Amino acid sequence: MGLQSKMLQQAELDKAIEAVKAIRNGPMVLQLYMDICTKCGTCARQCHVSQSDPDCYANPAMRSDRLRRIYNAERSVLKKVLWSVGLVNGNGLTARDLQAWAKDFYSCSGCRRCAKFCPLGIDNSVITRKARSILHSIGLTPRKISKIQQSDDRFGNGEGISPPTAVEIADFLEGELVEQYGVAIKVPIDRKADVLFVTSGGEILSYPETLMGCAAFFHAAGIDWTLSSYAFDAANFGLFTGDDAHMKEKNRRLHEASMNLGVEKLVIGECGHAYRVATQIGGANYWGKDIPYQITSIFVLAAEVIRKKGVKLDSSQNPMAVTYHDPCNYARSTGLTEEPREVLRACAGNFLEMTPNRDYNWCCGAGGGLAVLDGGEGVHGMDSFHKYRMTCTGKKKLEQIDQTGAAYVAAPCFNCKRQIGQLMEYHRREVAVGSVFELVGKAIVFRG
Amino acid sequence: MYVAKFICILMPCVTVAVFVAGMVGRLRNWNRAGAARIPLFPTPATPWQMWKRILVESLTFGQLCDGNRSLWIGTWAFHLFLFMVLIGHTMLITDLNTLWKNLGFEYGRADRIGAAIGGTAGLVLLVAAIYLLTRRLSSARVREISSLEDYVSIALILAVVISGDLMRFSSYFDTAPVREFFPGLVGLQITAIPHNRFLLIHLFFAQVLIMYVPFSKLVHIPGVFYTKSALYRC
Repeated sequence: MGLQSKMLQQAELDKAIEAVKAIRNGPMVLQLYMDICTKCGTCARQCHVSQSDPDCYANPAMRSDRLRRIYNAERSVLKKVLWSVGLVNGNGLTARDLQAWAKDFYSCSGCRRCAKFCPLGIDNSVITRKARSILHSIGLTPRKISKIQQSDDRFGNGEGISPPTAVEIADFLEGELVEQYGVAIKVPIDRKADVLFVTSGGEILSYPETLMGCAAFFHAAGIDWTLSSYAFDAANFGLFTGDDAHMKEKNRRLHEASMNLGVEKLVIGECGHAYRVATQIGGANYWGKDIPYQITSIFVLAAEVIRKKGVKLDSSQNPMAVTYHDPCNYARSTGLTEEPREVLRACAGNFLEMTPNRDYNWCCGAGGGLAVLDGGEGVHGMDSFHKYRMTCTGKKKLEQIDQTGAAYVAAPCFNCKRQIGQLMEYHRREVAVGSVFELVGKAIVFRG
Repeated sequence: MYVAKFICILMPCVTVAVFVAGMVGRLRNWNRAGAARIPLFPTPATPWQMWKRILVESLTFGQLCDGNRSLWIGTWAFHLFLFMVLIGHTMLITDLNTLWKNLGFEYGRADRIGAAIGGTAGLVLLVAAIYLLTRRLSSARVREISSLEDYVSIALILAVVISGDLMRFSSYFDTAPVREFFPGLVGLQITAIPHNRFLLIHLFFAQVLIMYVPFSKLVHIPGVFYTKSALYRC
């Protein structure tokens, strides 16, 4: 089912081969990764999937070899000679190979833990993204993921929310906030303000507690902020599909909204990859160094406010033992590790650190878009991707959480929350999973 | 006679040409493609700190110490003693007589010290290389990613190390003709060609290995500086 039903034409296979060979024109890092891997196996030792997957498919170096073989068959003299006598696997990509690619490269969550430990500095997530971009160009991206990207193209967000609907959502949440706090907390939308706040559109719908916590925080801190119906969703599936053009277009929305609303700061909410795209890949890199607004995270903002005692937080409102999960895109790809902890410690009294943590933390198992995959598509040797996430890619995270003995896992990333929440349910753990700003929302004390 | 002439005179020309052309070609490809920036946090604060970190990591293999302890011992010993052996080999060409005199050693004594250190290094290298090969064959996760290239690389290294050890340990090995020949070769003046069988085997495999470097994974030697600077660039 799923991918097998798409018949691949020879032209598409040739396109894939040409795309790999084109690595000889760049980027430099990909060329190097093709050339210098010494096959030491350390990446597999430190990969959460490789450690939990009984099959060999989840070995990062082996996955990268799928590209290497094609690349090398056309490059080195020695390899050409050996290939011609059949002693080295060469190119000759088949449709079946590409279907295996789709499963291989969607079993990698792009967490970059392998890059931390590779003695040669090879970042297999870059290879994963390259392979995924090739798959995308011939229509082999898992359907669930490509559908979300299509929704982005049409509506500007992955949930298909039109601007009037966005305004309705904001109104609805204002009502909920009044009920919760007895204070008229606003959820402004499409207004000129100091701060434009953009977060995961999916989370606004499925887990509004986070946005409500952010709104309460903004109100208590006296920050002039707004949402945008045009840039309602910071998530950027172009990162996951390897589609650079889409990644830029989605980021353009955030830029245009920031310019039109004349904001001083573009603040990204609790979404790991959104923050990474907004700061590391997009932003000044796409739109020029002289953009008039600063791009930052709600955590950086909140930590600063908390340090200056700009809000009153009662941490006794969150008495349970809380542990913190570092989203890979926060810890390894943007360096955001301390501010979320500052904010969390300020609103939860009993904070437990998991081990390892920060830039060495384990991936939740659902990064790189894997969190939205549930069905039979894209998975090796198991009935469903959901089962794969629950029993294989999420195994390390489950062990880690068990070890902390915490009652609540704060995961500031919608996909991580979805994965860890499902893990707890599947494995019948009595552990709650939520966002940091939900806890902030519970701890906020409104003066007067 | 002709074999010796081939290995000692003709082959070195080919070896140097292939190695230089190969390395230049490889480095040019990398340089041409443009630097990347894919920061892996936490990144060093300044370029100076970045290069310092890369240097320290390259010398200590610190990441393996954390991430793959058993491999770290074997491969660090291997690389460390390989480096020592390569430095020691420069004595073939330069002789370093003045240096030894200033350090207070007389010629013969320096030679014996070199023999002791070199001999030890040769044995450690042998053990380490055998460990690496065994590991590749016995560990499932490593075996599944290994291809012919990986086995050829370690086999070549073993051939060089074993022939070198045989030279050192089998019978008395007179270094004098060797010391006469190599500085001559480097200066493009051919003197009497050495005929020791183990030396010729050693020279042959060493040259094959040198030629193999730019076209194989052994090119990770300069490559690692490119990859790490992409990850650690601030």
